[in-house]
Amino acid sequence: MTLSQENGPERESDDLLAAEYVLGVLLAEQRQEASRRIDAEPAFARLVDAWEVRLSPLAEAYPEAEPPRSLKAAIDGRLFASPGAAPRASVWTSLGFWRGLAVAALAGLVLTVALPYMQPPAEQMRLVASLAADSSDVKYLAVYDAAHHNVGLSHLSGERDQGKDFELWMIEGDKPPVSLGVIPVGAVTQLPVAPPIQKQLEQGAVLAVSVEPAGGSPTGQPTGPVVATGDLKNI
Amino acid sequence: MAVAIDAALQMAGDRLVSTAMVPQDISKLIVRTSMKDRAAFDLLYRQTSAKLFGVCLRVLNDRGEAEDALQEIYVKIWTKADRFAVSDLSPISWLVAIARNHSIDRIRARRRPTTDIDAVLDVADPAPGPEAAAVAGDQAGQIHRCLEELESDRAAAVRGAYLKGESYAELAQRHRVPLNTMRTWLRRSLMKLRECLER
Repeated sequence: MTLSQENGPERESDDLLAAEYVLGVLLAEQRQEASRRIDAEPAFARLVDAWEVRLSPLAEAYPEAEPPRSLKAAIDGRLFASPGAAPRASVWTSLGFWRGLAVAALAGLVLTVALPYMQPPAEQMRLVASLAADSSDVKYLAVYDAAHHNVGLSHLSGERDQGKDFELWMIEGDKPPVSLGVIPVGAVTQLPVAPPIQKQLEQGAVLAVSVEPAGGSPTGQPTGPVVATGDLKNI
Repeated sequence: MAVAIDAALQMAGDRLVSTAMVPQDISKLIVRTSMKDRAAFDLLYRQTSAKLFGVCLRVLNDRGEAEDALQEIYVKIWTKADRFAVSDLSPISWLVAIARNHSIDRIRARRRPTTDIDAVLDVADPAPGPEAAAVAGDQAGQIHRCLEELESDRAAAVRGAYLKGESYAELAQRHRVPLNTMRTWLRRSLMKLRECLER
């Protein structure tokens, strides 16, 4: 909860500001300030987005107009004209790929939108899970690579507290969680998967992240709160 | 793999040129653009640039400036495509919002007011009548129904502000009311609209 959500009148005035921003009536400085808040305050950004949704049918009145043909080349010139541009790196090592997949996954778009285009050859079975929970800001994207027997983890948000670690678990039906190990610190990390667990993962399991003492759970079962979960889905 | 994807996308694109682009297709193109896929970006431009250029022209009232704005808008779309996933907007509405906001920022930033093409050509605000509103379907029709609940000059001010990006000052001048009156009108109208849309 942010301050503005707890504070009724303040939230009301924020909502009005969001409406005025979307309508377009504010002055340059006011728009810049609003724009800064959209970037910095998710709660305010949501108010603005809600107003964009409410008023968007009005945009049907804009007639279409073909831009001059030369314009796309000018755009490409601005974006891609760096001399000696590097050839496209492998999609799996590209930060843009991970970020794109991550936001898509979090929005529930991943299976319907992004993945049909990324179908790997059949022998390289890959399973994807977007790990998140309403109660925390910890978010990971997990990709199980059956060919290499590992789980790739892209850390999207949420930091571990001092002296704590995140541990990854596999949960299959009603069985007790099985540890896949402590998640290494880093933006993109990997955990190897032992043979007995591989088969279970390939059949589609639930992954979960719990907060544990540094070095991992002392009991072999989760001892701290579960801060993110998600279903592994075949892509 | 990348080659195959591009070829498939190209084929999909060629097929789609002759048919209407459905929102799901534009969603795919935006998501792929966020993964820095240039083929998807090219297609996205082909499918959406006419609509966005229409937005720029209407708000900026100046062809040269609209062309500059459109370039900046697609640069923004390339760099910020990952934001699409956290918006509740339909894909085309999300793109229009970027184009509108960018164009409005541009007119606010410019010092000299340009000649009002609307005044010269006497272009009416295209406010769809009840029929158009009914045809536009429930969600789209609702905003028009709610606007009809407002007094007509206030509804016109809301439409004018939205479509042309007019400031409070410009609206006050055009409707011949004091600035504070216009501000009060519009704020109350916005709150009434919200209430009506949430009914």
